[in-house]
Amino acid sequence: MKKLCVALIILATVICCSFAGALPQIGSHVAGPNIYLSRYYIMNGEEETGSKNLVTAVLADYRGFDTLCETTVLFLAGLTTAVILYKRTREERDVPRDQEKRRRKR
Amino acid sequence: MKRRFGGMILDCAFRIMIPFMVLYGLYVLLHGEHTPGGGFQAGGMIAIAIVCVRLILGTQSNLRDLGAKAALWAGVGTFIYLLTGLVCVLRGGNFLEYEYLPFFFQEAAQYHKAGIMLIETGVTVCVAATIVNILDAVIERVDEDDSDD
Amino acid sequence: MQILMVEGVFLILLIVITLSIILNRDLLATVVMFCAFSFCASLLYLIMGAPDVAFTEAVIGVVSTVFFVILLRSVDRWCKK
Repeated sequence: MKKLCVALIILATVICCSFAGALPQIGSHVAGPNIYLSRYYIMNGEEETGSKNLVTAVLADYRGFDTLCETTVLFLAGLTTAVILYKRTREERDVPRDQEKRRRKR
Repeated sequence: MKRRFGGMILDCAFRIMIPFMVLYGLYVLLHGEHTPGGGFQAGGMIAIAIVCVRLILGTQSNLRDLGAKAALWAGVGTFIYLLTGLVCVLRGGNFLEYEYLPFFFQEAAQYHKAGIMLIETGVTVCVAATIVNILDAVIERVDEDDSDD
Repeated sequence: MQILMVEGVFLILLIVITLSIILNRDLLATVVMFCAFSFCASLLYLIMGAPDVAFTEAVIGVVSTVFFVILLRSVDRWCKK
């Protein structure tokens, strides 16, 4: 079973590396999604939003709604973690102490 | 994690380091439009400062009320973000359309700057409070597991 | 797609660190290797030209390492093979 997993991982690595040559260069301006939208952001970003950092301009102004959803997801993740790790006092649990230790050691 | 940790050296050292951490976090937030930075990075920096205080002073000291209701502050941060969007709707524009904010500027770009600053403040508060919230839950759970044995 | 040689070195280092995380028995060493992984990823983002992402990755790497070390107190440090 372990050898099958290792073989599958090596196969996936070989397939991904063989297709890596066909990807465009990082940051190229003639690749797929960068033809129209990036050009608009670079040309008009500074005078419309007033910020020299284009990353902040795109994150907070042009794509502000996406940042709102991302912040909400972060908040919910924090709340969920706190709920899962909630500390209960021993009176709230119904199990006496030696039974609980036996259940944990099993 | 209940007692103080580190004796006198850490006690003096962190009292010098913590104001610089908070100041750097605020600097990253306020200069987010000119240098690399912004809301998420500033939130992380301020959270690191609060985590440092918690770890050194222990959970039963007087400074534990710094961020005692961290879940509440996380909600406040998200609410600030929503509020700037809703104010724009109430004054007649679309959601998060910064030209309808209630300020008196001359150019349109300054309205955008004000809107971006409000949004980044909300994100900073939310991220810092979330990290402190998770830390509180983890420390309480570890203390409980420690005291069971 | 072309890769710079520095990028290639860091990518191979990432693979080595990942293998060492998986095949290690000491959990404290695993947590330290997580921090090293985050550091290498941050340098890679910097080489690719994204300083905002590199900053965020460094901060979150520190925070997550602190969490893991705190959580390591309630788990045995040596895990079975």
